Amino acid sequence: MSRILGWLAALGLAAGMIMAFGVAPREVTQGNVQRIMYLHVPTVLVAYLAFAVVFVASIAYLWRRDPAADRLAHASAEVGVLFTGLTIAAGAIWGKPTWGTWWTWDARLTSVAILFVMYLGYLLLRGMIEDGERAARYSAVVGIVAALDIPLVHFSVYWWRTLHQPPSMLKPGPASMPEGILAALLVNVAAFALLYAYFVAKRVIVLRREEEVLA
Amino acid sequence: MTADHWGFVLAAYGLAAVVLAGYWRYLCRRDRELRELAKTIAARPARRGA
Repeated sequence: MSRILGWLAALGLAAGMIMAFGVAPREVTQGNVQRIMYLHVPTVLVAYLAFAVVFVASIAYLWRRDPAADRLAHASAEVGVLFTGLTIAAGAIWGKPTWGTWWTWDARLTSVAILFVMYLGYLLLRGMIEDGERAARYSAVVGIVAALDIPLVHFSVYWWRTLHQPPSMLKPGPASMPEGILAALLVNVAAFALLYAYFVAKRVIVLRREEEVLA
Repeated sequence: MTADHWGFVLAAYGLAAVVLAGYWRYLCRRDRELRELAKTIAARPARRGA
């Protein structure tokens, strides 16, 4: 199963790169540096997905005490942190030529940084507690509370005056971009979602093996 | 005409490629190590009782 997901993700990423660099038009205002969007937006959307999965799996764990739900939450949090880190890095690299700065304490950037640090803390908490059941229980609580930051990140551009542009997707009404750009973005969102699914599937297998072997 | 800043584009995609490939390799290596450890444990003769 994870092997099939891996191949699908690889094909999706190849298609995404072709769309981003070969099919999508050059953006008029920013020039070719805007192509960073095909990395920046998919990674943040997949990070939202990852943390939403942590939220649901954490509730499921507290409700049923199923170790499979805990493994899913752990794997999804780890992959979510990876994608959030990439979002921040790609955003900083995009920000320098377009805004003139790598970083600013803007509402969107700050709320994403808080999201990143909270889930990093979630992973550290898991690593610090030796008793597996306690680690799962405490981190499930953190996984639920930390998810409250996701809407804060997404709506920060509406609630406060920010340098960051409003969302181009996941907003009321149609996406505000030309068809060529939207198609390339959607292909990349699908590709990164497949990559997320592959990484989580593989990480869950590794976590299960760790429990079996190291028990 | 706007400057294209291809260096920044390359840096963003290059960094992503290195990070994602690194994580993938970490998962594969960890999986292999654990499978080998499981085989070693299974092959070890059971300890005799007193």
